[in-house]
Formats: sequence, structure tokens, C-alpha cells
Amino acid sequence: MKYEMVAGFETHIELATNTKIFCSCTTEFGADSNTHCCPICIGLPGTLPKLNRQAVKYAIMAGLATNCEIANISKMDRKNYCYPDLPKAYQISQYDKPLCEHGYVQLSNGKKIRLTRIHIEEDAGKLIHKRGDTYIDYNRGGVPLIEIVSEPDIRSVEEAKEYVEKLQQIMRYIGISDCKMQEGSMRCDVNISVRPVGSEQLGTRTEIKNMNSITFIGKAMEYEFGRQVDLIESGGKVEQQTLRYDDVTNTTSSMRGKEDANDYRYFRDPDLVTISVTDEEIDELRAKIPELPFQKQERYVSEMGLNEKDAQNIAKYRKIAEFFETASKGIKNPKTAANFIIGQIFRRLETESDKEEFNIAVTAEQLRELIELLDSGKIRNNLAKSTLEKMLDTGKSFSEFISESDLAGMDENTLNELCKKAVEANPKAVADYRNGKQKALKSIVGFVMKESRGRADAAAAEAKILELIG
Amino acid sequence: MVTHEDVLAIARLSKLYISDEELDEMTKAMDDIIKFADTINNAAEEGVEFDNINNLSNAFREDEIVPSYDREEILKNANDIDEGHFLVRKRV
Repeated sequence: MKYEMVAGFETHIELATNTKIFCSCTTEFGADSNTHCCPICIGLPGTLPKLNRQAVKYAIMAGLATNCEIANISKMDRKNYCYPDLPKAYQISQYDKPLCEHGYVQLSNGKKIRLTRIHIEEDAGKLIHKRGDTYIDYNRGGVPLIEIVSEPDIRSVEEAKEYVEKLQQIMRYIGISDCKMQEGSMRCDVNISVRPVGSEQLGTRTEIKNMNSITFIGKAMEYEFGRQVDLIESGGKVEQQTLRYDDVTNTTSSMRGKEDANDYRYFRDPDLVTISVTDEEIDELRAKIPELPFQKQERYVSEMGLNEKDAQNIAKYRKIAEFFETASKGIKNPKTAANFIIGQIFRRLETESDKEEFNIAVTAEQLRELIELLDSGKIRNNLAKSTLEKMLDTGKSFSEFISESDLAGMDENTLNELCKKAVEANPKAVADYRNGKQKALKSIVGFVMKESRGRADAAAAEAKILELIG
Repeated sequence: MVTHEDVLAIARLSKLYISDEELDEMTKAMDDIIKFADTINNAAEEGVEFDNINNLSNAFREDEIVPSYDREEILKNANDIDEGHFLVRKRV
């Protein structure tokens, strides 16, 4: 029998606020343990949480960018569970009235992955298990999170990876999170089940917790899919359970026993009043949502003449997209700017985070000046490329590297002399051309280009050479 | 009606131990509490929205950092500390 994968995601994203969700401690990452704490975020009795306005705004923006409906009335609830990462023994979250509902993220194949909801909640502290004890750092405790819950619409590892990447791009574009999976500011729980192809019924699902890399998400899903299919094929039954993925052995294993069945006894947090958002406020936030990556990608193809792949590679990163748009403003063919970015500039940005941060020495305006020079015919492509390399090395403008004589182009006499020289220096190529080998002409022109260090006009040189040998 | 099983389940989730002697008393107490809370349902008029009974909303805080407490202060009440961390015995 053939089986298909059915998967849904719960994605936690840390919001880029300055302070925590219910207190004024900083959310900065990487400090000494327990130095970003106060009585509220370590859960001392008698403290009163107060909701961070910015966290609510960011969550609404996340909803708007993923086509959600925004609730005018929303509230906070307590999710009760007893574990040392949670000093109050409950997490303040949202249960039946989340801020955002009924959205979707569209994949490149046109398929919509529906979002059930997006709600806000507080992050838990960090536990380090060593020497048989648990060390607790509450710096992360109380950092604002959104949890994005999808419907089980994902059918393959490829769709899963694209879904996570799309979420990451969108949230970075709207500036509500850096979504750094390796630092834990974006983490996914994957719900996965299998069923015979053609069946409409959902199988029993397992949940793989806390995945913090797109590669591992793919591997864990493949492993878990295989495990469930094998289990069913051999007459067994999938048990609903929470799993941990081990990236060393590439296997999943059970995290908790069944006797700890989830019973969170949600109830409204009486310390926190209703959240009320007016349509006007929602519209104000809507106006802040920039053009999103897939919208840019479409425009780059339809209006700027880029191919799909280049458009995608540029639109994916907000800073690169902005650089491209500035560099190609008023340029005849924006593709020239795209080529320099994907050629010369991408070579210097090896990792995804290099591209995300986009620290390069050249400004978009400087690149545009260089392209204008190229378009005016005053310099050739090779010279433009080597000049751009020097600009990227130094951060200086093209005028530092291109001399007046380079810019003057080449007068006709000099070109004629060079062409004569080329014909004399390449008797074999001349003979070949006369014997009908068209290609031989190119090598004579190449000689001229080399001698002139790229300054000669290739078309003019070719015409001149033909005149001489034709 | 709250049962012994309900009370034991809630106790387990809350990591509390309830002895057999306490069980009857606790079950009755829990039942009384729930019944008391239930009186609000009897008082409810049609159309009353209990979600926001006090009509308060949007008690927000601005996103401005206030210095956190010294770590010594934060760790002062802990039973056990080590290397700037709260320390708890590892749970099985």
C-alpha cells in the first residue's frame, strides 16, 4: 500500500520587542544567567503582569501578513503545568480567544497552508541538565512569543521546508522577529501522521518537539514517516505521543510517558484585562506591512524582466531586495543590477545569515553609478566587474579605480591601429576565417579586447577587422 | 459532583500528595468551591457578557526597558543555587 504524509506545524517565534511581555526586563539574547530578571518574570507571588503594547502590535502584524482575521476582542489565559522552566507553574497564553485566526501561507505551487490561529504567550526559562541536577536561567522566561498553528495541510517534506522558510521570510520582512532558528528565536513542533493515499481520514499523530533547523525538520519528518509506515505495515498501531528528535542518530524517541497526559486546565488570567483592538488600529498596522517577498518576486519578473530564480534569490532577503531596487532605479535594464548582485556580491555572502545581514562595503547608489557608466558605453562589462570587486574590497566609489583615459573610451585611430595589429599577430586565425571558419573572427576580436584592457568597443572592433580581412 | 478520582488527578498534575485520610475532606471542599462558583450561572441574565464584566480593557505597558534586578537579589530566595543558576534536583 502507498502512504501519504499529513503534517501540521506549531511554530514559536520570539518577537523583537525591547522588553519582555509582562515586565520591563530586556529581551536581549546572550547575557549572563538570571541577569535579565525581576519579581514578575521569576513568578514571585503578589506581582502583577502588565501586557507589552508592542507585543500585541507585532502579533497583529504577523496575522495581517499571513491573511488572518484579527480579533477585536481577545484575552489572556493561564495554561497550567508544573515544570521548572515555568516559575509560576502556569504559562500565560491565549486559549479560546486568540488575536488572529483563519489565515494562510501560500506555497510556490499555489497551495495554501491554512493557519488555524496565531496567539501571544510568554516564553519559558532555559534548563540546563548537568551533573544530575537542573540549572535554571530565567532570562528567556517572559520573552514574548507568537505561536502560529497550522492546519494539517502539509503533505511532504518539501512543502514543510517551504512553509517554514516562507514564515521566516515574512516575519523578517515585517520586522517582528529575527527568526534565528540556531538561537531559538524560531522553533517548530511538527505534528505528523500517515494514511493510505486516497484516504480522507486522519491517522494517529505524533508530535516532534522543538525543532530548530530546517534541515533537521526534513530529516526528522522523513524518519518519523518511515517509522509510522513500518509500524502500520507490520500490523502495529501508531501511539499518540510527544517525540524528541536526535540529530546524531537521526531517530525520534518518546519524551514523556502516557501517564502525564496533557491537562492544562486553562482558565482566564484574572490579572490581565481584555485586549480590545479597533478596526482603525488594525488598518494602521496594515499600512505598516511592506511589500512581501513573494509579491516582490512577482514584480521583479513581470515588471523588471528578471528570471524566476534570480527574482526569488533577491526577494528572499529584505536588505538585498532594497539594495537591488535602489541600485536599479532608473536603469535601462534592471537585470544588470541583478547580475552584479548574484554574481559579484553573493560570492562574498556565503551563509544565509551573511545574506540576511548583508554587510557589504558598497552602497546601492555606488553600484548604480557603475551601471550607468556601463550602460553609457564608456566602460565594458569586464572592467565593470573588476571595478566592482575593488569597490567591494574598499568601499570606495568607481572613480577611484577607473581613470579618465578608461572613461574616454577609444578613439577611432587607436582602434584601427589595434585592429591592424590583431590581424598581423594572428595569421592563422585570419586564414581560418577566410577558409570559412566564422569562429576564428572571435579570437581576433578577443585579441583587440585584451590589448585594450576591455576599453575597445567589441562591435566596432569586429566591423573594423572584417573590413581589413573580409 | 467532584469525585475522589478528580481530586487525585488534579493533585497529581499539581505535584501534590494527598493522603487517604485527607481525600474525603478535600473532595468535599472542592465540591463546595465549584458549587459556590456555579451560583454565578444562576444569577446570569440573558445577554450579560461575563468575559469583560468590569469593562476594563487595554491596560498596556510601553516597550521601554527598566534595569533588571541584581542577580543576587533574584537568587536570594532559592533553596539551592550554583554558578548563577537556580538549581533543582533532576526530575525522573
